[in-house]
Amino acid sequence: MLNILEPGLKTTIQDTGRFGHYHMGVPPSGAADKYSFLLGNTLLGNPPDYAGLEMMLTGPVIEFQKKTVIALTGASAEVKLNGEVIPLWQPIAVSPGDVLMVGKIYDGIFTYLTVSGGLATPEILGSRSACFASGFPGVLGRKLLKGDQLPLNEPLPGVLRQVGKSIPNEIKPVFNRQLDLHLVLGIASERISDEGLTGLLNQEWTIHTQSNRVAYRLYGGRVRYKKEAAPFGSGNSPGNIVDIPYPIGGVIVPNEEELIILLNDGTGGGGFVTTGTVISPDLSVLSQAKPHSVVRFHAVTVEQAFQLRREKEQLIEKVKMTVQQA
Amino acid sequence: MLIFPETKFDFCGDEYIYAEISTEMRIESNFKSISITNELRKRNIPGMIEVYPSNASYLIRYDPTAISPHHLLDYLQEIDQQKSHRSELHFSSRIIEIPVWYNDKITKNTIERYQHLQPEAGGDDFIHVMRANGFTEADAFIAAHSSPPYFITSLGFKPGTAWGFPLGVPQNKIIQAPKYPSPRSYTPGEALGIGGAFTVVYPTESTGSYQLIGISAVPVYDPGQNLSLFRDSFFLAKPGDLWKYRPITEAEYYNIREEVEKRTYEYKVKAIEFSVEQYDEKGDHYISQLMEGF
Repeated sequence: MLNILEPGLKTTIQDTGRFGHYHMGVPPSGAADKYSFLLGNTLLGNPPDYAGLEMMLTGPVIEFQKKTVIALTGASAEVKLNGEVIPLWQPIAVSPGDVLMVGKIYDGIFTYLTVSGGLATPEILGSRSACFASGFPGVLGRKLLKGDQLPLNEPLPGVLRQVGKSIPNEIKPVFNRQLDLHLVLGIASERISDEGLTGLLNQEWTIHTQSNRVAYRLYGGRVRYKKEAAPFGSGNSPGNIVDIPYPIGGVIVPNEEELIILLNDGTGGGGFVTTGTVISPDLSVLSQAKPHSVVRFHAVTVEQAFQLRREKEQLIEKVKMTVQQA
Repeated sequence: MLIFPETKFDFCGDEYIYAEISTEMRIESNFKSISITNELRKRNIPGMIEVYPSNASYLIRYDPTAISPHHLLDYLQEIDQQKSHRSELHFSSRIIEIPVWYNDKITKNTIERYQHLQPEAGGDDFIHVMRANGFTEADAFIAAHSSPPYFITSLGFKPGTAWGFPLGVPQNKIIQAPKYPSPRSYTPGEALGIGGAFTVVYPTESTGSYQLIGISAVPVYDPGQNLSLFRDSFFLAKPGDLWKYRPITEAEYYNIREEVEKRTYEYKVKAIEFSVEQYDEKGDHYISQLMEGF
């Protein structure tokens, strides 16, 4: 059991997401920075989809009621176990009565806590991830509250042997205030003028304070629509299209001065010109970006997108190999 | 004879393929989208994670470590070809009755609070939409809105939000409404909204920008699975279903609410086979045939 003594600003249960119901209006949810989350599970020898905690900006205070092994990954944070500072990015043994305090989270937005065997909280539609928009019961529909008791599965065989191992620096993600995002152009790109597309790619965009797990909003650049009539059934504005299912990572252009990038708590069913999709490994980096950070876009081919994805997967694979060698 | 333009396929990032059947809204494009996505779902292809039909397009999410994106694209193109023949376009669906208290007091209380968002409506969405569509009498407007069945083209926005498009109505007679220029921060659960040519029932309390013209007495989303119809799914709507709104009085509304709360309410449902070939040949007459006895 995890006993939540203080919930922190916004701590939620997340796994790798809820699939198969997006067409019913249910967002995938799941860890916003999937890369850091997967590294946490990998360090512990957990399967990738085991549920853990996503902690935002100010972390929780948690008492363990089981002997197990944990890992902290993601954005840097002030973390103490029984008052002693402990490092991120390595498996740490805990015993009943130990108190973990995750203080201020800096460099990024989210720090992750994964536990050997994973959380044993209830599932809905095949996932333990919290989703606020869904009206799901209990911890599946809200952030954690003081007094919540979260059941844990038994630690996995051999996990104690992982204690003290760590992740090489080159595998840890780097979060800073200048981001490079790769996107594959398409969907309704033809509704944007050539000059408008150049504007999208050559200008710097700033992350708006109204950005969250549903979507990030960007401003500061300028995109121009083509001057042509909107298609029948789309509405009257040149920025409208007949409603489409937006992909997660979709770059939506609601007007010529704003971009919206859909993230894991987003849903489809919208009618704004969408000009491409940010590749999935970059969504982990974007989700950790603080407001006022600056974004530059780089158009890539779909083959390059798969290559960039493979590079990230190979890093996780490397960690998995060292864990298995224990 | 039904002719489809060539479907445009696009890779979106490293996990999605988007297929655009037509750029403009055509109900036939939606029939094709539903036929294809139903077929894909049935085939249960390993590595295909999401299958999402929409108005005139569909979206596939896949795991590129489990399935080759290029093989998947070829496969989708093949099914698209096959489903370009109207004889291949058919699906099982249901007609479901939704009892609605039109021009109700509950949504009116909400609208009054958001008058400032669209001053031209004078704080009454129902009258605003009624007048914009050339009606002077509430009863005539309610009869016009509730007489056709609404075809569920797609879901999205919030879990269970289903867009319904009226079938069997000439385009110039379809009731339409502008959206709020800026969304309301609150909409009551089960409110009946209209935006463009689409009607929705808001599944839960949420933000919203459609004009509110009534309230459904029955839920369309039930994650607690309190009513028997939700035993297999949290969602009342499925793309391809037909919803028929039945106007009810305030008293009937509260009677039905009571049945819903006691978990005894039974939806009126009829299973049908929808044939696009028949629709193409017989048009509105086919729709009246499907609705017979309902």
